[in-house]
Amino acid sequence: MSSVESVKSEVFSQIAQLLENKSLTVTDDMPLIGGEGVLDSMKLVELCLALEDKAAEIGFEFDWTSDAAMSRSRSMFRTADSLAAEFVNQMESKK
Amino acid sequence: MIVVTGASKGLGRAICDRLIEKNIDVFGLARNVDEVPFASMSCDVSSYESVKAVAQKLKKDGVKVTGLVNAAGIASMNLAVTTPQSVAQKIINTNLLGTIYCCQLISPLMLRNKQGSIINFSTIAVALGLKGESIYAASKAGVEGFTRSFAREMADFNVKVNCIAPGPIDTSLLKGITAEQINKIVSQQIIPKQFKPGAVADLVELLIDSRSDSLSGQVLHVGGA
Repeated sequence: MSSVESVKSEVFSQIAQLLENKSLTVTDDMPLIGGEGVLDSMKLVELCLALEDKAAEIGFEFDWTSDAAMSRSRSMFRTADSLAAEFVNQMESKK
Repeated sequence: MIVVTGASKGLGRAICDRLIEKNIDVFGLARNVDEVPFASMSCDVSSYESVKAVAQKLKKDGVKVTGLVNAAGIASMNLAVTTPQSVAQKIINTNLLGTIYCCQLISPLMLRNKQGSIINFSTIAVALGLKGESIYAASKAGVEGFTRSFAREMADFNVKVNCIAPGPIDTSLLKGITAEQINKIVSQQIIPKQFKPGAVADLVELLIDSRSDSLSGQVLHVGGA
């Protein structure tokens, strides 16, 4: 598994840990927020904090508050894949 | 550790002094911290990047933040029609956006521990609708509205958010205000007397303590309104 794939898998794993319905499988198009979203606002913040910690382990700072992070994909929290993509993007740009 | 903005003078400094006296760790923020005799860092709260740098440093240093006191503020006692645009902008940027930025960027340090207290500052001018303070009062009314909503957002994380709204306290913020003007405002308070910074520090001490864990989203008027 490439480093990018492994990091994406880690993001999905963090999402999975926060799901109330443990029988759900995290997929690329799983909506995180909004009407169909699987995370409430509290879980969303917990996810951000967990990803911050994960980023620190890897050696970069995950910024979930910047205009750039939010506007690049409208909201990086649209789907599991968009969040993983933003996480990987920040990891690669801060290397 | 309690982070206090506006820590170099006035109410912010009085609050820091009180907390230190009570053996509570304080980290002061102010634009100029040259003469601040405790742990501090230069920060312009009206600058998102400046506040972010503080949050990053606290996180990097592994500081356990348990409280935030947003005491930084500026005032300009003028009629709205005679207030220059630049002054109006500065008041909103410092008082309202400064409070919002600090809450946005420093509260995540408390969310991790699921414990904390945030204290914002308004003014009795909001409740009393004081003449000559419309822009200042508007900025602080924004702080009150923000406090009420933000308190709900933080409640899930066991972080309480309250607001202290003092009357005219004897600090440098009142520079240029005549005794007559002060007396006129004080006379409109429920308790018609001018309080000292210590009265505000008393409330801060209570609000960061677990004895006030049942309070969140409240605006406490010093002097009563």
